[in-house]
Amino acid sequence: MHLDPFELHRPSSVEETVSLAGRLAPAFDYIAGGTDLLPNYKMRLNVRPNLIALEDVSELRGISLDRVGAMVRLGELETDPAFGSAYRGVVEAAAEVATPLVRASGTVGGNLLVETRCFFFNQSFPWRKSLGFCLKADGDKCHVVPQKEKCYATFSGDLAPTLAVLDAEVEVAGPDGRRRVPVASLYDASGDGIQRHHLRPSELIVAVHFPPEARTLRGSYRKLRIRPSFDFPELGVAVAARQSADGGVERLALSVGGLETYPRRFDDLTRRLVGERPTIAKVRELADAVRQLVRPVHNTALAPDYRRKMAGVYVRRSVAEILGVAEETR
Amino acid sequence: MGEGMGESTPVRLRVNGVTTALVCPPERILLDLLREDLNLTGTKRGCDLGTCGCCTVWVDGKPVLSCLTLARLVSGRDITTIEGVTPASGLSDLQRAFVDHGATQCGFCTPGFVMTATALLRDHPHPTKPEIERAIAGNLCRCTGYIKIVEAVAATAEGRP
Repeated sequence: MHLDPFELHRPSSVEETVSLAGRLAPAFDYIAGGTDLLPNYKMRLNVRPNLIALEDVSELRGISLDRVGAMVRLGELETDPAFGSAYRGVVEAAAEVATPLVRASGTVGGNLLVETRCFFFNQSFPWRKSLGFCLKADGDKCHVVPQKEKCYATFSGDLAPTLAVLDAEVEVAGPDGRRRVPVASLYDASGDGIQRHHLRPSELIVAVHFPPEARTLRGSYRKLRIRPSFDFPELGVAVAARQSADGGVERLALSVGGLETYPRRFDDLTRRLVGERPTIAKVRELADAVRQLVRPVHNTALAPDYRRKMAGVYVRRSVAEILGVAEETR
Repeated sequence: MGEGMGESTPVRLRVNGVTTALVCPPERILLDLLREDLNLTGTKRGCDLGTCGCCTVWVDGKPVLSCLTLARLVSGRDITTIEGVTPASGLSDLQRAFVDHGATQCGFCTPGFVMTATALLRDHPHPTKPEIERAIAGNLCRCTGYIKIVEAVAATAEGRP
């Protein structure tokens, strides 16, 4: 498959990048690793006439316990021993993104902004044309939930939930300067599968920053997919916790991706366990509440009912494991 | 900085140790450049979407998907293809093991597997079986069922036929 012609820009600094983006917006895409963008371009999905390559912007590199550059490859992140011992959940998620070959190119920033996915969107041009185009590309109606207002494409990044539970922030640069946005508020229910995050069109993620408290938390990531060697998440559960010496919960956060249009935190539910000695009954109650709240739709390979049930199962297993609560044997 | 739409400017690549300058437009994919401009057809086009690993080449020694790499973005880098890891005469130990273990049937995925596994053995000369399986997770084979491929890589690592 050949790509349609575009103009390729190669800025070398963040300032140069965002000033260029400001001039070109919205007729451009950033290209980081290209592992999500180029397949979409090959399928003629929302192709734009300009690509701004981030390859030469050195400020976007570098891994430390405080900061990970947006252009750090997922493969670099998963093999960094110091980072891995500090942030287990993040590394578990990075290591489960697609395949080693994709992770050799795919980046941290790219995974945070990975395109939302839908059975009716991630298809070739002739396939989409034959059915009638959808809201997310070239059309005006949704084939999943028939209406013309909202896109239900699924948030499919693996890293975001694991960063959200650590209260990590993204450093964002734009033509008007820089700002910090908590990963947890980068996406929310106010958007949809098209308006999938709160970055402005010309803004760029420079890096992810970790607060000092993040190093005091234990984290994990549990991912549901058909082929463990490759697929996007059908469900991704990230948890992070800290307990006192007597086992009392000092902090607990939970974020679930792969089900809705955004990775969703459940602070109202997890707060109920803080200050408590965790029991399997309380963990089960939390998992049941999550299962009842999430609303996956029929737009990925696995049935939404199954994904919702598994959300309960994975939340129960992940929270029980992280808090050291034995699951009942039946 | 901006490279004009469809405009073809020269790109300088070092492919299998030979420096080549050739004209290519911004949208040229590395896989197409290798196969169509340099006639290096050992690198295969499978899914063309990053799923199958048939197009695996090395950029600066690291296996990457050439179907998802813009040629202009690897200008000045060292590219190695299956032709570059194959000895001038005969086969590499790993390629020989693929033949001896029946790890190649239709053969279409083989160049990609050889590129991935050669890099694995270079960086980790004694991988365990799970490490081999994990390393080749991005390469699809529809014929062998992988067992023979893993055996061929393991046999090469152990220096046995």
